Amino acid sequence: MSLSRFAKILRKDLALGPRSPIFLWMILLPVVLTLILQVAFGSLFNPEPRLGIVDEGDSEITAQVEQMEGIELTLLDDAEELKNLVEANDLDAGLILQPDFDEALRAGDQPELQFYISGESYASNRIVLTVTTLDLVREIEGSEAPVTVEVVSYGSAGLPISMRLVPVIVFYALTMAGIFVPGSSLVEEKEQGTLMALLVTPVKIGEVLAAKWTLGLVLASTMAAATLLLNQALGANWAQVLVVVVVAGALSSMIGLLIGTFAKDSTIMFGVVKGLGIFLFAPTLFYIFPEWPQWIAKLFPLYWVLEPIWTVAIMGGSLADVWVEILVAIGITVALIPLIGLVARKVQTEMAAR
Amino acid sequence: MSGPVSRPAIVSALLKKEFRAYSRDTIWLLLTLLALVAIPVAFLFLPDSVDESLTLGVAPPVSSLVEDARETLKGMGATDEQLAELDEADFTEEQEGLLLVEFETEEDLQRVVAGELEAWQTGSGELVLRDTEADEDEPEDAEKVSVSIGVAFPPDFIAAVAAGRDDVKVTVYSFADVPQEIQGAIESFVREAGYQLAGQELPVTIPEEEFVMLGEDRAGDQVSLQDKFRPLVIFMVLLMETFSMASLVSTEVLQRTVTAVLVTPARIGDFLFAKTVFGTFMSLGQALIVLLIIGGLTAQNWSLVLTILLMGSIMFTGVALFVGASGKDFMGQLFYTMLFTIPLLTPTFSVLFPGTAAGWVRILPTYPIIDTLYAAMTYGTTWADSARELAYAAFWLVVLYGAGLFTLRRKVASL
Repeated sequence: MSLSRFAKILRKDLALGPRSPIFLWMILLPVVLTLILQVAFGSLFNPEPRLGIVDEGDSEITAQVEQMEGIELTLLDDAEELKNLVEANDLDAGLILQPDFDEALRAGDQPELQFYISGESYASNRIVLTVTTLDLVREIEGSEAPVTVEVVSYGSAGLPISMRLVPVIVFYALTMAGIFVPGSSLVEEKEQGTLMALLVTPVKIGEVLAAKWTLGLVLASTMAAATLLLNQALGANWAQVLVVVVVAGALSSMIGLLIGTFAKDSTIMFGVVKGLGIFLFAPTLFYIFPEWPQWIAKLFPLYWVLEPIWTVAIMGGSLADVWVEILVAIGITVALIPLIGLVARKVQTEMAAR
Repeated sequence: MSGPVSRPAIVSALLKKEFRAYSRDTIWLLLTLLALVAIPVAFLFLPDSVDESLTLGVAPPVSSLVEDARETLKGMGATDEQLAELDEADFTEEQEGLLLVEFETEEDLQRVVAGELEAWQTGSGELVLRDTEADEDEPEDAEKVSVSIGVAFPPDFIAAVAAGRDDVKVTVYSFADVPQEIQGAIESFVREAGYQLAGQELPVTIPEEEFVMLGEDRAGDQVSLQDKFRPLVIFMVLLMETFSMASLVSTEVLQRTVTAVLVTPARIGDFLFAKTVFGTFMSLGQALIVLLIIGGLTAQNWSLVLTILLMGSIMFTGVALFVGASGKDFMGQLFYTMLFTIPLLTPTFSVLFPGTAAGWVRILPTYPIIDTLYAAMTYGTTWADSARELAYAAFWLVVLYGAGLFTLRRKVASL
């Protein structure tokens, strides 16, 4: 194997690659998925009760709600606008505080509580917002509660859904950059005849494959690390995270290379990736649903790279915690080499026979 | 020598060619069949009801608290009839979003919240506790109830509060994953119960419920995830067909088979018409198959739903003609199509969230399609209710389909 020829092929792929729309998607997808899953779907999974307030005076209630956790507050200037938003279910409830509301409360004038509930709001949100508002009203009035409430907490809070979705986004980064890029690059070379042209020069098939694998490795590692950074999961142990990310890039790129070597054209490659999709994607589901039996995830190849990323990047563990998984991932990567060699020889024989 | 061929005969021949080409394109054919099976199956796994209630553990049972405070309650003015009603009331029945699970002792409640015991409820409402550490068998004919937060009242709670004692303490047991706002609300709820028992009226006047509730009250009748996804799934089927249609058009342009077609008596108009009919038939046909499987058509909404589906399928055919005219290879085509379909897909997510969609989402071409489809299938809106959205959808239909026809016509003419 000539390192100089290998470097030349890799340089060519890096130079020509960005012309492919797959490169654009490889960069766009993790960003778009982060936005969709974290910003949009994060609130879908954990919707907070939404309260709108029109404060016509300077009520302490508004200030208290502003400081509360778990209630999404919208401050508005117009009472009609508030009612419209509540009716359209853009808010679960709305509160209009007249001027001098607090003073009227303290003076015992029993002011009217202009509190509106959306007909489409969930019953649980109605309870939360109603009792919270009444409690604040009592507090402002200054009456002392006839009972003392003590809270006793157990266990530790589970990870928020936004963090449990990170493996899904990392998976797509690995799939696009590690599987699609080297795979389609190889398939396109076959379709356009440039692979055959290359092989009539002193370039060996092994050098082409090594270059494509390295291309996938570099891009997949970079995109996976960028995705973790984007999702605030690249912390102080970044050096150890980079190690697990490189291992993940190595395996996904090897899978991409195998598919690219096997597929005769782009259609078959797309079909294979689509067919294998659920098999590759499956382990990510076990992070979203931790109550599922976790041993099942170990049956899928990408578990062995996603688990180290999960443990080291998201849970803040160290390489010592995942050395078994890393060894298995490296083992699978190495085991795929002879298989790719076998398929590549067959492809070469077929090309020679044409 | 044969005579001139009629236009319908030419279009019919072109349509036959389209169907043959589609059936030979095994990858798209398989993916289409896979989608037709997988989509309804996945749909069945979506929840068909909404759990909008809070589950709250209570110890001791409310009836026991009332029993201990019978004399106090009488002293507060409760009549024998009211006390009898309290005796007969089943507090474990879900009401107004609150599901009470009653525990005999504070220790049971504490251990269930801490996860040491599991609470199971039988069909008759009886509570069975299962020790997870002792590996006890799961109780038969019972359903597991998740109790993450509960309130332990002192046994003499009512009497003590009514008597104005200042040492009444209530403990709220909460697991760490209970959201802050719910924990806060339960604390407020306990304090308010105390105020009421102590005879302290609310310091505000509350208007009648009819003036408080805005919009139709859907408590207990919320739109389930399955209902939300039904129009979304149908819409996705329409959209997915854009990929296969664009691929077919692109292949014709790339391989220049369209030029071969045009040396026959077929005109470019016949070619475009056949493509439109084929694309519309394929997307609408698949959407209808899925719709029939997952349901959603009613005697009231069928004409509106079918019309909006037809408009959607023509709109996506227009997009496919536009995208396919670029004549890219398979991978290029795939990702190029994604570039156009992702913005068109965005409005579908708006139906998953409560409230109105953002302004920028509402101007997207597919918004009136998904919005009308959702409203007709979920709320049973009529033609009159949807007139504005239909007009807006028609505008975008003309724009997108026109752009598709124009682009492909120019491309074909340039080959």
